[in-house]
Amino acid sequence: MEKITPDIIRKAKRNGFSDIQLAHIFKTTESEIRKFRFKNGIYPVYKTVDTCAAEFEANTPYHYSVYEKYNESVSSDREKIIILGGGPNRIGQGIEFDYCCVRCVKALREEGFETIMINCNPETVSTDYDITDKLYFEPLTTEDVLNIVKYEKNVKGIIVSFGGQTPLKISKELEKNGLKILGTSSKDIDIAEDRKKFGKLLDNLEIPKPEYDTVKTLPQALKTANKIGYPVLVRPSYVLGGRAMQIVYNDDTLKSFFEEASKFSGEHPVLIDKFLEEAREIDVDALCDGKSVYIAGIMQHIEEAGIHSGDSTSILPPISLSKKNLNEIKKYTKTIALALNVIGMINIQFAIKDNVVYVIEANPRASRTVPFVSKTTGVPIASVAAKIIAGRKLKEFELKDFESLDYISIKESVFPFQKFPRAKMFLGPEMRSTGEVMGISKSFGAAMAKAQDATGNPLRTSGNIFISLNNNDKKPKAVNLLKRFEELGFGIFATHGTNKFLRENKIKSEPVFKVNEGRPNIVDLIKNGEIHLVINTPLGEESRFDEYAIGWAAVQHKIPFITTLSAAQSVVEGIARIKSHDLSVKSLQEYYKN
Amino acid sequence: MPKRTDLKTILIIGSGPIVIGQACEFDYSGTQAVKALKEEGYRVVLINSNPATIMTDPEIADATYIEPITAEFIEKIIVKEKPDAILPTMGGQTALNAAIELYEKGILKKYGIELIGAKVDSIKKAESRDLFNIAMEKIGLEVAKGKFIRSFDEAKNFVKEVGFPVIIRPSFTLGGTGGGTAYNLEEFENKVNRGLTSSPVGEVLIEESLIGWKEFELEVMRDVNDNFVVICSIENFDPMGVHTGDSITVAPAQTLSDKQYQVLRDAAKKIISEIGVETGGSNIQFAINPVTGRVIVIEMNPRVSRSSALASKATGFPIAKIAAKLAIGYTLDEIPNDITKTTPASFEPVIDYIVVKIPRWDFDKFRSSNPESDVLGIQMKSVGEVMSFGRNFREAFQKAIRSLEIGRYGFGADGKDIYDTEYLLGLSAVEKAENKEKILSKLKVPRSDNIFYIRYAFLTGATVDELYDATKIDKWFLNQLKDIVLFELDLYTYSFN
Repeated sequence: MEKITPDIIRKAKRNGFSDIQLAHIFKTTESEIRKFRFKNGIYPVYKTVDTCAAEFEANTPYHYSVYEKYNESVSSDREKIIILGGGPNRIGQGIEFDYCCVRCVKALREEGFETIMINCNPETVSTDYDITDKLYFEPLTTEDVLNIVKYEKNVKGIIVSFGGQTPLKISKELEKNGLKILGTSSKDIDIAEDRKKFGKLLDNLEIPKPEYDTVKTLPQALKTANKIGYPVLVRPSYVLGGRAMQIVYNDDTLKSFFEEASKFSGEHPVLIDKFLEEAREIDVDALCDGKSVYIAGIMQHIEEAGIHSGDSTSILPPISLSKKNLNEIKKYTKTIALALNVIGMINIQFAIKDNVVYVIEANPRASRTVPFVSKTTGVPIASVAAKIIAGRKLKEFELKDFESLDYISIKESVFPFQKFPRAKMFLGPEMRSTGEVMGISKSFGAAMAKAQDATGNPLRTSGNIFISLNNNDKKPKAVNLLKRFEELGFGIFATHGTNKFLRENKIKSEPVFKVNEGRPNIVDLIKNGEIHLVINTPLGEESRFDEYAIGWAAVQHKIPFITTLSAAQSVVEGIARIKSHDLSVKSLQEYYKN
Repeated sequence: MPKRTDLKTILIIGSGPIVIGQACEFDYSGTQAVKALKEEGYRVVLINSNPATIMTDPEIADATYIEPITAEFIEKIIVKEKPDAILPTMGGQTALNAAIELYEKGILKKYGIELIGAKVDSIKKAESRDLFNIAMEKIGLEVAKGKFIRSFDEAKNFVKEVGFPVIIRPSFTLGGTGGGTAYNLEEFENKVNRGLTSSPVGEVLIEESLIGWKEFELEVMRDVNDNFVVICSIENFDPMGVHTGDSITVAPAQTLSDKQYQVLRDAAKKIISEIGVETGGSNIQFAINPVTGRVIVIEMNPRVSRSSALASKATGFPIAKIAAKLAIGYTLDEIPNDITKTTPASFEPVIDYIVVKIPRWDFDKFRSSNPESDVLGIQMKSVGEVMSFGRNFREAFQKAIRSLEIGRYGFGADGKDIYDTEYLLGLSAVEKAENKEKILSKLKVPRSDNIFYIRYAFLTGATVDELYDATKIDKWFLNQLKDIVLFELDLYTYSFN
């Protein structure tokens, strides 16, 4: 066999082959290929996007790589910071991170740094050439980033904590190749991400966490689940976005689900966590400069723990947390942020059950809720975080306390179920929303009504509701809720079981067939426009068919479809507000003035 | 013409939450528009219900309303802020629909508010199938033949006129439920009857099928003096039948002859004039029959779009910003090009590289019992996209794949292939032929992972012609992909150490 020559590698590069492909083809490693390239002077050069095929002079620093001669990207003498963008939008990684990156760039420019953005998503603001000092429209892979860095001198470091998972994934490789990662150190990030290390940290700090263990085999899993006690949350490790994650209530389900989870986990263990059923979930965004901590926002979820935080409805400030719990949350946030030596942002998720505050996880980076918190409070969290990373201290900023707000914001999620017929419509630990809206107002009910309206499924103020409750939900809480609907003048249709429960509790309701019980059934009623709100709380594994048929009919007819009692309670407040004609508009600038 | 001084306050409508088909490209265009109008000294009021956007940052607009984008709430904002005009072309379909609703409810008239960027008549002409067809007929351009029918007999008469295959679309069903393509009379009867039942109004649209035709888009702009520029031509790698948002696209168009391009260009100029978009950008889509060369106008969007964001990033020409300036009365020759500083916006961009866009899907999240759920069709399913530059198609294409973050680092040969190169090459002639047939038959149905199967097909010995028959992807693109595979195979003849 002939030995490879630099010319052939150069030619491969001109055909778009990546170092990883070449490593695979030549059965060697990516870094060996890179070494060979650098030794033989095979780098890309950067050309300018100039609208005119170089016919006129253009100095716009908007660049792309090609394997040719004559580099057009000139590196200035200024001190630079490179910011990695969020890559393509997908569920779980969307516009929020573009927002964070853009704020970061603006803040660093204010601090006098030259900013360099690398991103490959044409839909974003961060790839607008007049946002940054310099834009490289390139893939976010180790290879492509290292190629760029070769040309840029006087780089203070690189920021990987604003673009979501995308830049984090390559941060270790970049650090290994000599790049300085700015902000929280990768050692501390690792502690937050590694379950064992993080668990140990919480133990040392005497902060409660749900019991958990890691297992590799089904017998181990069964033993652990029984030791911890059902229900448990089973999920593969090192898999993002809650994929192949399930809440398991008994041995049988665990047996059937374990195989899938371990398939996704590969050689890594499967995680088994105690699932805190009916716990309340809380999200916190905070800033830390290594010495002090600013709590930017504490958000209460309407749905109970177990539903992915990206899919849930959040309220800021929280409306029903006890002073004691609130103080514990603040204390834990500060303790954890300082223990992880956070420089910049941190997001921590909590669950409260039986008056105990548990820490679920901590992520020392920009979170999905940063723009929501900022829009609500007016505090540009991402900008302040960027400036802290660049060396400022928290005490240099005047930051508003979110508890001083005299209004409420609600973030509601938007789902693409219309596009995916027959997909499961109940929310769970796997995130599936594509986007979000916000409702802001003086009162909770009005904010809720606005948020619902903004999702495109406005609440109706009269008509009929359909309700089907699982046995766990047949409680006084449900009775009180349905009384409110009755008072507001709604007619109530219920499945036979739920109807019986309602009648026992002196609420008037009409029985209606489930889909497989006969006709006309609930889907017929929805199709005939006789139902204006659906409350259907899921019943574990059973009646999948009904759930789907009802959910799909509701989606098709744009009827609000609610799957938890807590959400139903909020919706009642919303309807009451709409009825009192109390939905005024106010600009953010006016909200912030006070 | 200088900018208008009779306007003081302008309301911009955003696009609301991120949904499939309407993503952060409208944050990009809206942010540019707000900045452009503020730069010109106007007071800008903004409504958008999506808090995750840059445009709703309080320092971008003068007054920012995070409120539901409905006529009811917009009216409340109008009462408070008293805008002189509304710019509805920056917030996707959401904003256009809201503007039409404001018009139809008489709210625009009541408060004396003007729509700028696109007039109600133009929006209606572009969006109503009937009005659009009449307009195209008037200027001598063809649209796909189609007819609304209410009985099978009516349908049968129509199909005699246009021939098979035809597309059956039941009216007013969501997500195209009950629709489909028919290749013969038996299928046709079944599908029309099913469509008539599933349509709540018992109506079905029968349309001549353009499946397999080549698809092109032109991003164009026009000003009040009837100056007209093409910002960018975009070619769909996937043939008609796959939504543009789900298609790999390439800019500039690669397989048009200069003559064909001029035909599209002239058509685009006529269309934007006839529809009457006086001050802004539009996206116009064409289908071309690969055999006869017949050109069909598919649709026109009288607003900035996902494609215009792509065209802006691909060329450096900020379409939304320029569209905002056209909307307040400037003409293209009066607006300087930011990038060169010396040329005006009336210079059409020229590019000396190739740009490839690839969509990103998230089917895993919607696993369902439906085996068709990842089939690509007329309804968009992707949740995002990446773009990349290269000096040639092969370079840009491979870079785009590695930008996707789907664990792939190029057009195969990255250690992630389901069928390894060595395995496929090592098969016996019979096994190769068997595999080839299997792969070619899979490729007849467009799916998100088909691109990698094209490579497997080449490795089992499929020819460009065979792949063309299976996929209807233009042979120019197939040859480019083949060249990548051949280059890869050549690399195996060298040793690294």
